[in-house]
Amino acid sequence: MPIDITMPRLSDTMEMGTVLHWHVKEGDEVSSGDVLADIETDKATMELQSFDDGVVQNILIAAGEQVSVGTAIARLLEEDEDLTGSPSVDAAPQTETPKPVEQAKAEPTAEVPTPPPSSGGARVSPVARRLAEDHGLDLSTIQGTGPSGRIIKRDILQIIDATQETEAAVVSTPQSTHVVADVTPIQQPLAPTSPWQQDRTEPLSNMRQIIAKRLVESKQSIPHYQVSMTFDMDPLMEMRKALNEQLSATGIKLSVNDFLVRCCALAMSEHPAFNASFGGDCILYHGPVNIGMAVALPEERGGGLVVASIRNADQKSLRTISQESSYLAKKARETGLTMDEMADATFTISNLGMFGVEHFTAIINPPNSAILAVGAAIEKPVVRDGELVVGHEMSATLSLDHRVIDGAMAAQYLKTLKGFIENPASLLV
Amino acid sequence: MLNMAEIDTTETTPPLTQKRAKAPLPDSPILLGWLRQMMLIREFEVRTMQAYQNRQIGGFCHIYIGQEAVAVGSIAAVNPDDPVVLAYRDHGHALARGMDPKYCMAEMFGKIGGCAKGKGGSMHMFDAEHYLYGGHGIVGAQTPLGTGLAFATKYEDEVIGEGKSDKVTLCYLGDGAINQGAFYEAMNLAGLFDIPVIFVLENNRYSMGTAIERGTTMAHALHAKSEAHGIEHAIVDGKNVMNMYQDFKPIADWCREESRPFFVEAQTYRYKGHSMSDPRKYRTKMEEEMEEQDDCIASLSTFLQEHHDVEPDAIKQLGRQVKSQVRQAVEWSNQSPETPLDELYTDVYTDVWGPFKGTSKPEMLQDENE
Amino acid sequence: MTVATKERVIEFRDALREAMSEEMRVDKRVFLLGEEVAQYNGAYKVSKGMLDEFGPRRFIDTPISESGFSGMAIGAAMRGLRPIVEFMSWSFSLVAADPILNNAPKMLYMSGGQFGCPIVFRGNDGAGGQLASTHSWCVESLYANVPGLKMAIPYDAYDAKGLLKTAIRDDNPVFFLESERLLSTKGHVPEEEYTIEFGKALIRREGTDCTIISFGRPLHFCLEAAEELAKEGISCEVVDGRTIRPLDIETMITSVKKTNACVVVDQSWPFASVGSEIASQIHRYCFDDLDNHVHRVHSDDVPTPYAYNLEQAYLPNSHKICEAVRSATYNI
Repeated sequence: MPIDITMPRLSDTMEMGTVLHWHVKEGDEVSSGDVLADIETDKATMELQSFDDGVVQNILIAAGEQVSVGTAIARLLEEDEDLTGSPSVDAAPQTETPKPVEQAKAEPTAEVPTPPPSSGGARVSPVARRLAEDHGLDLSTIQGTGPSGRIIKRDILQIIDATQETEAAVVSTPQSTHVVADVTPIQQPLAPTSPWQQDRTEPLSNMRQIIAKRLVESKQSIPHYQVSMTFDMDPLMEMRKALNEQLSATGIKLSVNDFLVRCCALAMSEHPAFNASFGGDCILYHGPVNIGMAVALPEERGGGLVVASIRNADQKSLRTISQESSYLAKKARETGLTMDEMADATFTISNLGMFGVEHFTAIINPPNSAILAVGAAIEKPVVRDGELVVGHEMSATLSLDHRVIDGAMAAQYLKTLKGFIENPASLLV
Repeated sequence: MLNMAEIDTTETTPPLTQKRAKAPLPDSPILLGWLRQMMLIREFEVRTMQAYQNRQIGGFCHIYIGQEAVAVGSIAAVNPDDPVVLAYRDHGHALARGMDPKYCMAEMFGKIGGCAKGKGGSMHMFDAEHYLYGGHGIVGAQTPLGTGLAFATKYEDEVIGEGKSDKVTLCYLGDGAINQGAFYEAMNLAGLFDIPVIFVLENNRYSMGTAIERGTTMAHALHAKSEAHGIEHAIVDGKNVMNMYQDFKPIADWCREESRPFFVEAQTYRYKGHSMSDPRKYRTKMEEEMEEQDDCIASLSTFLQEHHDVEPDAIKQLGRQVKSQVRQAVEWSNQSPETPLDELYTDVYTDVWGPFKGTSKPEMLQDENE
Repeated sequence: MTVATKERVIEFRDALREAMSEEMRVDKRVFLLGEEVAQYNGAYKVSKGMLDEFGPRRFIDTPISESGFSGMAIGAAMRGLRPIVEFMSWSFSLVAADPILNNAPKMLYMSGGQFGCPIVFRGNDGAGGQLASTHSWCVESLYANVPGLKMAIPYDAYDAKGLLKTAIRDDNPVFFLESERLLSTKGHVPEEEYTIEFGKALIRREGTDCTIISFGRPLHFCLEAAEELAKEGISCEVVDGRTIRPLDIETMITSVKKTNACVVVDQSWPFASVGSEIASQIHRYCFDDLDNHVHRVHSDDVPTPYAYNLEQAYLPNSHKICEAVRSATYNI
């Protein structure tokens, strides 16, 4: 029997997956463990491995196509099965014993029977490309319905039609209620409106869809509240400077965030409720302390953000944390993270300090019960020992799931955190 | 099986050849004109070879030296408005027909001044003013064309003009073309439709490097080929312009009068190779020397000196004239501008459409019109 | 063009005959030659009765000698006569390849503009029906490669007459490709004098979703396919190119820019064909307007088979055209 390979569920939130690239083609022999394809899930690119030995009989989903989890995407024939025996699923429907005359193909001779494997990148028909440009549509966000996921005219027109319907609906309301007896011509704008001045609609990318869905869920279902605290950053900054001088030969450069990862992790071991999830009828206390680190993705990769997971952060040195976090951040921005590199965070830090943001609040990343929104360490007049001096201060705000953590618990956690931040020597032991 | 020797063909098929009285020889000025034409052709061909070796002429180039009497004698026997169509060894006929050597040379130089604006080259000499319907590069291709030209003259005279056919077409071919199917089809049609075309077979005994015996059945009775199509035939001396004319003139007159085709085998010899790249390994030096002893220019100049009191100096003077004329033709060709790139898309169609720019006449005809 | 008056329906072959007869009446330079054209009244009865009107001097039965009589006609055309050469079948023109390809289309160029060749070669092109490979030639792709000739392929009686009259009046060699299978088809041909300019394609059916380009007989299948596809909601625009040289690529481009999809139907073989040439030009000029690559329907790339079922499978038909259009418009 042929073995169907289906779109795997590669994360708890994954509902659709896109085959980014096939590593095999029809007729290839594969062994268990061989990589068959790269699959893009909601947040990551993952390798799809074969579980069986056999020959790839059919590739059912071309690179670039998105299908629901569970959909067959390829078919393997086990050894000794006849490759030519079963009909190809993506071929036009045919009768079992085709009659020669009716067998006529659209292009009997001029066509190459099997298209070469995709070299990556979305396929777009020329007119679809032109229409998308004319209407300011981002092709990378459009799912093609043509062969091999090619974006075709119909795909673009559907988006344009949908947009126009929406616009028409909006416009029609005032028209229907606004009765003007003496119609005067509407003054036309002096200059023609250039395309980028006009409103435009951009369909949601995979990631944007996921972010929207999950954060709405989070904000609607979790009773959020925020608690803020200001930290004296001078000791930490001084230590950071000293350590970075020592480490300069190694190429490692500790960031403020690296310190915060360790601080939060250590504080979490002291406050297990911060390493827990709301379980409906229970509270789930996690074993490992895994700190999630929000990483914004660059525009050219479609924007959005992912959360990289630094596992067992409470047991890792600053140096290890720094290496891991810079590796993960770079990889996230450049090639994307694997599921493993993003999974299982139990607490999340979102740091906008590098952008000069002083204070903000974050939405909890489920199933975490807390997220820390970190602002910049800012040089400002501070009172130290009764004297007004210039020092570095940083404000951080916890968003909390009240179902797990109460306000006093939050205050306790922040106090512990403050202890680590303002006495950074404790981080070294 | 029939024994061929027992069949008396003369009774069932009357011979299609008759003794015709030779035409009288014209006066000495005409004969001197022939001599001058033959000398011009020879000098022209010598300079053609030189220019070819100087790379001023490209492509294929076929030299007529040795055969001058055929073109000059036969063309002298017809009217200036009788159509002439040629094979690819065509420079001699073009000059004999009256084309200015400068247009002929410039054509080979691939210049705008050429008779076909440099688009035809050595093998394709056309001159509408002189009813010269081209040299044709594909062996034998000109024979249906010649039949068609003659068909047309007859149609013009009889169907459109509602009078009597009054032209005869000269269609030259080499002995190589006699083996081409097109020639047999042309003879069949000419015989069938009473077409006044003379197929002038210039038998120089070699089709390229193949001696006629090696490539043609009945090589020593080629008239059998025309007899099969019911076409009159004659063998003429193509190495002597006077014999050529005297035998050819009555044939041409008969064809014109009777509106019938004719097959003339002019026996001749080409002194040079088939083309400029021919080393002539297929024949002996001795054979060439013997043939060259019976030279058309030498025999006519001797005749003129012996029978018309022409001074040797007068003949030398002719030699100087043609040398100078050909030198001028070469100079003119050198100075003629290259054919402009504009011409690439001219003369493809008569009308203007797409990239095509219509047609324009060569300078040769514009000169004539002035 | 014409002002259509009362309907006058005649056969395609009658339209051809009218074109020739009318031109022969007004121009004595025009004459016709070919096999069985006169006494036999034409192998396909196109020239029926013309011998009686024009006599044997202008209506000439030739022996089976295509190379000879084609060459002869070309020689006559060089003199300014305007011969019409009838090939009983274009399949037989191959033995006349040298005169019709090497002489007729090149004469004007080779002579530097001195001698044109106003001649029409006409006859049946394409499969007649179980004639097997040597007698079923579609010469359009083979011959259209040659500059210097023009090529017209009429689809109906109206075009047959109008295009043939234009061909006879043209000062250049015209290859006029008729179809045996169309000769008995009937259409409206007005009494009035008219000609059809070369290089002007005709939109035979308007549509919005896919442009189907073809010439001559396959247009019948294209229109059939368009009807069938309309039931599926696919609206096809069928363009009759009418002439291959000159090719009215502008009309084709305009149509493809509208529909964004294109299928070329060419009854000759696919390799280096009229179809591939049009596809290439459409790809070039409509690149940013195409929603899919240009699809092509041809005869299969094999010699024409004799067996009925094989021949049917080999030739373009409306089923294949439908499939191609569905594929080109992503409706499979």
